[in-house]
Amino acid sequence: MKCTECAFEAPIGKFRYLYNARIDSSISMRQCPQCEQWLAVDELLGEAQDAVHPGEAPWGKSAGIEGLAGDSQG
Amino acid sequence: MGQRTAQTEKALSVDELANRREWWSVAQKTRSKRLDYLRKGVWKKGAIGGNYAPGIKIDLTLPQLFTEKWQEQEGEPIMLQKAHAIAHVLDNIPIFITDRSQIMGYIGSAPHQIVWHWQGISMVNEEIYNEEGIIPEPEEESLEILATLNDYWGGRTAVDKLARILDPEDAVKFMSGAIGWGTPTSAATYSTKDFTYIFKGFEALLAEIEERMEETEQKLQGNPSPQLLPLYDKLPRWEAMQIVLEASIRYAKRYARLARTLAEHFESDPTRKEELLRIAETCERVPAKPPRNLQESLQFDHFVQVLARYETFEGAWPHRPDYVHGPYYDKDVNQEKRLTKEEALDLVGEHLIRTYEVGIFAPKWAREGLQGITGTWVWTMGGVKPDGSDACNDMTIAYMQAARLVRVSNPTFGFRWHPKVKDEVLRECFECIRHGLGYPSMRNDPVLVANTVHWYGHPVEEARTWVHQACMSPCPTTKYGCQPMRMASATANCAKMIEYALHDGYDPVVNMQMGPKTGDPRQFKDFEEFFGAWVKQMEWLRNILVRTVNLGRVKDPEFFGRPFLSAIYERAVETGTDACDPSNGERGNAWVTGFTWVENADSLAAIKKFVYDEKKYTMDQLMEALNANWVGYEEMRLDFVKNAPKWGNDDDYVDDLMVRCLREVSRHAKENKCPSNNNWPLLPENVSGNIHYANLVGALPNGRRLGDALYDGGISPGPGLDKKGPTAVLKSCGKFDHVTDGRAFLLNQRLSPTQLSGEKGYQLWKAYMKTWADLGLDHVQFNMVDDATLRAAQKDPEKYQEVIVRVAGYSAHFVDISRKTQDNIIQRTVQGLG
Repeated sequence: MKCTECAFEAPIGKFRYLYNARIDSSISMRQCPQCEQWLAVDELLGEAQDAVHPGEAPWGKSAGIEGLAGDSQG
Repeated sequence: MGQRTAQTEKALSVDELANRREWWSVAQKTRSKRLDYLRKGVWKKGAIGGNYAPGIKIDLTLPQLFTEKWQEQEGEPIMLQKAHAIAHVLDNIPIFITDRSQIMGYIGSAPHQIVWHWQGISMVNEEIYNEEGIIPEPEEESLEILATLNDYWGGRTAVDKLARILDPEDAVKFMSGAIGWGTPTSAATYSTKDFTYIFKGFEALLAEIEERMEETEQKLQGNPSPQLLPLYDKLPRWEAMQIVLEASIRYAKRYARLARTLAEHFESDPTRKEELLRIAETCERVPAKPPRNLQESLQFDHFVQVLARYETFEGAWPHRPDYVHGPYYDKDVNQEKRLTKEEALDLVGEHLIRTYEVGIFAPKWAREGLQGITGTWVWTMGGVKPDGSDACNDMTIAYMQAARLVRVSNPTFGFRWHPKVKDEVLRECFECIRHGLGYPSMRNDPVLVANTVHWYGHPVEEARTWVHQACMSPCPTTKYGCQPMRMASATANCAKMIEYALHDGYDPVVNMQMGPKTGDPRQFKDFEEFFGAWVKQMEWLRNILVRTVNLGRVKDPEFFGRPFLSAIYERAVETGTDACDPSNGERGNAWVTGFTWVENADSLAAIKKFVYDEKKYTMDQLMEALNANWVGYEEMRLDFVKNAPKWGNDDDYVDDLMVRCLREVSRHAKENKCPSNNNWPLLPENVSGNIHYANLVGALPNGRRLGDALYDGGISPGPGLDKKGPTAVLKSCGKFDHVTDGRAFLLNQRLSPTQLSGEKGYQLWKAYMKTWADLGLDHVQFNMVDDATLRAAQKDPEKYQEVIVRVAGYSAHFVDISRKTQDNIIQRTVQGLG
């Protein structure tokens, strides 16, 4: 697998598994051992998709009716 | 706050801010100047993720004062020795009065310092060396003091003493950290307090003790007999109670003196001068004598809570303040009109702030399990009186209103709903939830009163006095109902039950044989055999925790000693015993907290369906995938997640398994007995243990990997796995009996703030609550903050410091919990009502 940030390449297991915040998605978070960036990884494809920064949710919105209307704080 | 400038922010009206659901700005604009000052000036003591906030230091003055007196009194009975040491602390600990405050008392020498309770367990004491930033300056000198204290207390703490008599195998397994947490001692605990007794005033309690001592001394002059011999041990215990009560009165009078000195010699503002004189008068009065008004009653209460925490680490705060203080509010505000509603609200708001500011050092594993808070301080509101009539009063409403003004994450409230609750009170509960506080949690009072009678035989009039002993478990506040020690180490990491059933009792994460050898599941001929293995692992797990705590409990008076708590416990005063002595008439109210419970039902359902019923996969294939932590088996994992039945969807296939598991545990709960010979029912809930245990529970058949957060509630469905709406969740949860199938069951639900805005929102919620009550559920709590706000808070935490979320049995400021916990909350299904 290749890190999208620093291009470090290694088998997927070398990228530390962090967690899968949404159990019914194949996207998980792993950490690059070289640049320590958190990555969104598709476990089905074994590919890093993108870097994950605070506030980002690569697995999408919550289940249920969230998104019904905008609830932002202005 | 988004893109707006401070100026436009200021210009927005309260209504406009409310429409935007900027509740923290609404609070700032509507609270009094005093509350604004006090709220903004308070130090954050809960850990942020697992670490203390910058500037927080441990208090070394307290352990030094205690230890110097303790060493002087060496050789005395432990309760007497401790009483002298506590009195020395209370006479000498620095005290302070925060500007504009009206309620006195703090545990520690300065407002940024937190108490370190050094008498509990030396392993925790040693951890302080590794805590960057919390050693007071000058650091080198402090480290020397710390080392001296640790050198003395090593081997002398309550758990060190207990460890010498524990079964070594039990001790190793418990200390692995895999199966449970907590410490089997009242050195880390919480106690119910009976304010109808305590409010007699400490002078009255002293007189009662004096009378008991005189009677006993007379008896000892009589004919010698074996019956007289135990009386000799009672005298030093009563003496210890006297010492701490007298010291407590002196401690309060130190505040009175300080307030009077400030008023007479330093304060130039006439209004504040008058307040200081009233503080002086209050602290001269209580806790020595009964309170006469709201300020005195709140002050008395707070002194008792502070004093209890000088004695030990009280990690929860069992209390029912609206019931205790309601009559004083009524007298001051409604009858005598000596306080306006606004003035009363200032006192109530400060009561919340003074509680929020209490900080106690906890080891890292405990901080991770209770992110963002010091302890689970769930105050009980509403409910009924002993005769069954509605107990809600003006103070219930005042606390709800004050909570929205000060927006602290600790204490939180649990509201005892019952059919006679008035609409105006229910609206107040809803407003708190709508304002995003995450509390009150809603408790079904008739169910929980019946449950309390069922499990322990408490008389119904006593059961109706119940308070939350911690997050969830009801405990009567009566002479024989009060629970002096929560036995926190009976907290089970329940996901290990299914994990050990799969691995023949072996723990693949900590690499130890933990549970009994129940066989290789590959050889099991049917699901019944597999379920039998699960039952054996469940029984083993509960047994090891319960027997450890039972032993700690009976040894507590010998190894730790509670002079202050004993002095305010009627049954201890009457019998001359330590409050924690189970032989003094305590009825028993023990429970096993069940963390990570729901994974059992979902995993069993997946195994039953795919391995035994449909034979889609062999057990060998499943074990291979689990042993690989599902790596390389993603398609199969997703099949187990998406196509196996999941709890919370009104699906009998899995719901029946949940009920079956609970009934097995309830049978076993009556075979386990506490030292008062009463039962040990299960109470599924999580605090943030679902995050703490994420790295201690291996891959499971419900599709989670080692490292993934476990489910968040006690009976909450897995985040995002409840696909059929809120009624289906309630129906699943209503398939078992909330009276007889366990002690209480935590249900988290997430609602849309958009959908629940306005009067229509309230009516939708009220209809939901009716279904909840009709189905006989005992608990539900809500998060009502949208994804966009939470994601924005992750991105820019400085701007969202005041966003509060419900984590599990407690609330926390969102920015104070770890990213993993934050994501876990965001992933909870947002239920649409109606």
